[in-house]
Amino acid sequence: MTETVPLRLGCLECDLLVCIEPLDPGARASCPRCGHMLTANNRDGFTRSLAFASAASMLLAMSMSFPFLSLEASGLEQVMTLPRSAYELYADGYLLIAILVMGPIIAVPALMIGALMAMLVPLRRGTPAPWIVPAGHFLFALSPWSMVEVFVIGVLVSLVKIGAMATVHLGISFWAYVAFAICFTATLTNLDRVQLWERIEELSA
Amino acid sequence: MSAATFLPGTAAAEGLATCHTCCKLAPAESHKCPRCGSSLHLRTTDSLQRTIALAVTATLLYIPANVLPIMTTTMLGTSEPSTILGGVVLLIHHESYLIAAVIFIASVMVPTGKLLSISWLCWSVARRQSTSLEQRTRMYRVTEFVGKWSMTDVFVVAILVALIQLGGLLSITAGNAAIAFGGVVVVTMIAAESFDSRLIWDQMDAERSELEVESGDTNA
Repeated sequence: MTETVPLRLGCLECDLLVCIEPLDPGARASCPRCGHMLTANNRDGFTRSLAFASAASMLLAMSMSFPFLSLEASGLEQVMTLPRSAYELYADGYLLIAILVMGPIIAVPALMIGALMAMLVPLRRGTPAPWIVPAGHFLFALSPWSMVEVFVIGVLVSLVKIGAMATVHLGISFWAYVAFAICFTATLTNLDRVQLWERIEELSA
Repeated sequence: MSAATFLPGTAAAEGLATCHTCCKLAPAESHKCPRCGSSLHLRTTDSLQRTIALAVTATLLYIPANVLPIMTTTMLGTSEPSTILGGVVLLIHHESYLIAAVIFIASVMVPTGKLLSISWLCWSVARRQSTSLEQRTRMYRVTEFVGKWSMTDVFVVAILVALIQLGGLLSITAGNAAIAFGGVVVVTMIAAESFDSRLIWDQMDAERSELEVESGDTNA
């Protein structure tokens, strides 16, 4: 068994050299000097992460296809969908804002889910695939740029802002997006970077 | 930099670098991570210069972000542009204190606080301060964590623009400040990422570091 070999890590925040014994399921290791969380052995981490990722992908597709919010004022009705929101900004000549908004809330998480599935499916089957390492690079390069939870707060703020002027109805897509945000966060919290790469190394060895 | 310049007990002192992508610990002289192929560095290259340059860029972008209108509301033919701060004042007038607070924190306090804390971290590292290491690390963590939350205001503008299109009755268009403000958020996020928090710990007192290495040995 290779698992009894202690793992040597450098803390990413303070560079302390740390040696950790293999973690029990559910245990986590933090840096003794600065407290930075080094790695966590999440119970069924990969399986849960994959499950949440597939749920999140379906919910994201749903949130793209139905009305997100609708507005009623003086007998007029206006329906907003996420693709339409991007188009509206683009049509007004604000392509940059459209990218700045749709990138972090849809494109980045969608690509991250794709990369994650491309890694976890072969990992769980135990079959090496040539794209696992590039997909890992891609996933961790994108991860700082996902702003799913920030968008949910943004929607809530706009609801209150508009609420003073008109009646707003929440659409199916709104609820789908909230559920997506929860699943997406769960996908990432169940995935530990150190454990993931250790597993990739085991697989390719 | 040679390994001798680093304090004992650190990975760098043994010539080992942690891969930024996969966390693998590998000899730094190989320059390439043996596991994932990313380039390896003991410390982020030119971390301070990069961080300061990006902080200056963000500060400059912050000026148009506050001076230009972030959105224009057209109601029954009259257009009314509003800036970020103007929006907050308007919300206070409408007695929506909670939303005013959210917008004020996300659009004013977080970006300025971030710029101040990044500058302070760079300054303290450049001045070789060896005190309050834990505090500064905590400060760095907070700075890194809050970064993306300032995007709230840009998202609000995007939603209002898409939703409030009732022709001549009431419509909202985006303003150039939204682009500038989005730029501030993105640039400060890159700045926080290019700051290497290990530089803080590199300046620990030699005495304290020796004490820690000793106690670390007895623990192990």
